[in-house]
Amino acid sequence: MKRTDIYAILRPLGIPLMGEGAMMLLCIIPSLHFHDGTTAQMLCCGLFTLCIGLLMLLSIAKQTERVDRRVPYIIVALIWVVLSTFGTLPFLATGALHSFSDALFESMSGFTSTGATIFADIEHLPPSVLLWRSMSQWIGGFGIILLILAIVPSLGINKYSLYTAEASGAESVDKTSSSVSTTIRRTLVIYIALTLVFVVLLRLTGMHVWDAVNLVFTNISSGGFSIYNDSLSAITIQQQYILALAMFFSGINFMLLFYLATFRYRRIRHKLDQFSFYLGIAVLAIAVVALALHYKMDWSWSDSLRCSTVQTISVLTTTGSLVADTSTWWTPILFFYVMLSLCGGMAGSTSGGLKIMRVLILFRNTRNILRNRLHPYAINPVRLNGMPVTHPIINNVMVIFFVYLFTIIAGVLLLMLSGVNATESFGACIACITGYGPGLGATGGFGSYAGFTVVAKYIASLLMLMGRLECLTVIILFLPRFWHR
Amino acid sequence: MNVAEKIANYGTRIFDPSQMRIRRFNFKLIARLSGMLLIILSCAMVFPLAVSLYYRDGAQFDLALSGVIILLLGLMLRNILGHNASYELHEKESFWITSIIWLLVPLTGSLPYLFTGATGSFTDAAFESFSGFTTTGASVIKDLDHTPQGLLVWRSMTQWIGGLGLILFIIALLKKLNVGSVQLYDAEFSGTIQRKLHPHLATSVSLMWMIYLGLTVGLVILLLLCGNEFIDAFCIATSAISTGGFMVHTAGLAGMSQLSLALITLFMFISGVNIALLYKLATGKIRLLSHNEEFRIYVGIFAGAAVLSAVAFFLKGYPLQRSVCYSLFHVASTISTCGLSLPTPHVWPLAVSGVTFFLIIVGASAGSTGGGLKIKRLMILRRYVHNYFTRMLHPNVAFSVTIDGERISDEYINKIFAFAFMYIIFIVGGAFVLTICGVDIPTAVCVAAANIGNLGPSPLINALGANFEYGNLLPLAKWTLMVLMLVGRIEIFAILAIFSPAYWRR
Repeated sequence: MKRTDIYAILRPLGIPLMGEGAMMLLCIIPSLHFHDGTTAQMLCCGLFTLCIGLLMLLSIAKQTERVDRRVPYIIVALIWVVLSTFGTLPFLATGALHSFSDALFESMSGFTSTGATIFADIEHLPPSVLLWRSMSQWIGGFGIILLILAIVPSLGINKYSLYTAEASGAESVDKTSSSVSTTIRRTLVIYIALTLVFVVLLRLTGMHVWDAVNLVFTNISSGGFSIYNDSLSAITIQQQYILALAMFFSGINFMLLFYLATFRYRRIRHKLDQFSFYLGIAVLAIAVVALALHYKMDWSWSDSLRCSTVQTISVLTTTGSLVADTSTWWTPILFFYVMLSLCGGMAGSTSGGLKIMRVLILFRNTRNILRNRLHPYAINPVRLNGMPVTHPIINNVMVIFFVYLFTIIAGVLLLMLSGVNATESFGACIACITGYGPGLGATGGFGSYAGFTVVAKYIASLLMLMGRLECLTVIILFLPRFWHR
Repeated sequence: MNVAEKIANYGTRIFDPSQMRIRRFNFKLIARLSGMLLIILSCAMVFPLAVSLYYRDGAQFDLALSGVIILLLGLMLRNILGHNASYELHEKESFWITSIIWLLVPLTGSLPYLFTGATGSFTDAAFESFSGFTTTGASVIKDLDHTPQGLLVWRSMTQWIGGLGLILFIIALLKKLNVGSVQLYDAEFSGTIQRKLHPHLATSVSLMWMIYLGLTVGLVILLLLCGNEFIDAFCIATSAISTGGFMVHTAGLAGMSQLSLALITLFMFISGVNIALLYKLATGKIRLLSHNEEFRIYVGIFAGAAVLSAVAFFLKGYPLQRSVCYSLFHVASTISTCGLSLPTPHVWPLAVSGVTFFLIIVGASAGSTGGGLKIKRLMILRRYVHNYFTRMLHPNVAFSVTIDGERISDEYINKIFAFAFMYIIFIVGGAFVLTICGVDIPTAVCVAAANIGNLGPSPLINALGANFEYGNLLPLAKWTLMVLMLVGRIEIFAILAIFSPAYWRR
């Protein structure tokens, strides 16, 4: 790796860092308003981060030379690592957390919009820290869309390799028509518009602006941090439904939302397959869980429907907001939720998991193989939005699936080796990798990850990072092949 | 007839309405074949009957009765329902035959359990029988010492019959059936590239049976020479060679000498090897062994896992010799998906649990009697993933996956991926139903994985840290596990094909 390559890695980190610093400075506002006494600390953190970012940007001249192929992978992983590392500053400076492993866990959980929390008692935190937690998820959620829709294409990461589903057939239609900056602009517009709309909606139901902003930040980014110990069960039914809608939107492809908002329906056609599958899964899962809650746990119809709707959407979009203490729910529902969170929302949304499109391709491929066995000479390719998907692309989706699976198995084993029991490791590993947040056992429901050992916390942080960046990008950094030559 | 005429005739044959008829399912053939298999099954009943008479264990009437019932059922199917069957076999029937036979045979095979009352309910009897024929080895019988010997022999025999696959039984028997037999063979064995031993399929299947028989007889004789009783030697040998895993005593293998255990370990290891490879070895082509990539990986995984668990046991404070012997036995039993186990230690080292889970998923070599995802498939997938990572860095490099010097097409890789995907889906689905029946989540996943991998016995599952007993499960859970066993034994897509809408569309 040459010196210029290292510059090429450091420079793109400068802008996100400056952004992060600016966000920290924004956290001063609630600090001043509520007089929580953390103003000075937040100011220091913000200025420090801002300065480091500025230094990175200024001290390193822009490279025009062609960079190494490995550089984009390092950048993508480093952005999240660096943002999370600097994100620990507010927790440590205000004294909300005392150890770096805790702070990193919380910060990583924020920036990967996972929503797993280390705090057992959230309501006693200073407002500035609360806002910082919510804000980190909001940035993280936006970041992942930018990464997939804009940064990855601009960094020149080979389109067949990484976000395969995005690059396959139907999706490439967008790529040709819009440049990177347009995509960024459109995404930003939609993201901010959604945030504002839902804040206003919540305000109309009588919620305080402070609560509304925090809740919308964490739910529209499919994050799931809350400012209450009881997550969503602390608010009214109406507000719960509004947030469920927000979560549902967070699982939709943002370009689809943009075209919908600008009435360009012909563009939407290319994403309808995915969307209808997303909707179908959501409706089906809500129905199943509602039935289970009603008949198995003897809840009233209205309660089971409401809880099922809000919670299932929260799981499917891997948000992790809790409408009730799910840890007391019937075990099969919890297992179902674990699997549902693996499915995730649409590609190009803020949600995590495998993404609906991949799941769709996997199932259609199975159907196709069955058909081919019955009619061995018929030619019927797997189709997505009416366009054929070739075997190499399907295989690439399969690769992502199996690497994902392998990471989960390895993660569960590592967590168990670090001293977590089987149920909790299983739940925590999948919750971290998909970005859902609450796991099973003590980490599930309104519980927290505070009981984890230090090693387990680092492993969980790594799993969150891997899950957010779809495993491959992180795993490749650990291969000896990557660092040779 | 010249070419033009041929083409013309060909055309008329397809389009002439008078010639067109909707081809019916060849139900007669299905009935005939399953009838024949049942007759063979009833003949096999003679042996346990003899054992039962010799030991006077009181089960002779029950065994005789079930033998007669199976015989009558078989005769009815073969000679009445399957009378005048044409031996024309197509793709659609081949799925049916596989599934029907795999349902019918274990169900009738459960009669002895029902009649002797060794298992409580019909569900239990069916579970025991399915577990036997699919060589899973999961058992609901708690007290083996008070079970009639005749029944124990029958139990072990079901494993042996199911070991190579019921379909291979038919193919070996019916040389007439050469047209569709390849499809049948596929329905039970596909997903793995299976090189035939002999140009004639029936002959090569017969050869496979010979090797299988030879191995079993060899192990029985060796165990007898070690001073074991005949019942023990026979039952354990069939368990080990068919990779089943049923035991003979409640205490398991506790009473066996070190030498017998070593022999069992060796034969379990062998039974996880591709039978085609064994045949080639038997014909003196020893050099093939080092050239066969799958075998090399198999040995590699075996050695690695054994060393790892030996170290783990040693670090837990077991004496060196005991930890080595124990881990060799355990790893051989798990990798071949056999499932025999030594008296369990009280606390399993976590590393051993991890290794065990890994081995349960991986399974034995393709073309062996073992289950699991099969090493060959995973090798292909691993190589594809390996290439994929390289391609992330060098997008323009062209790669192909090769095994033993043969290039594997993308389409084939896709099938393997899809197979593995469905395998995982079945594990998850099975685990979900188990959680409904009140099993906790990690145990449910392990049990589902072990049963679809045809590795059943509860002591081995408890090696994963669970505390689990089949007898305590609800009937729903047992039936789910039976489905999983079947799915693991027959090819997944053959079962799914019957349930797919496309199958029923004309």
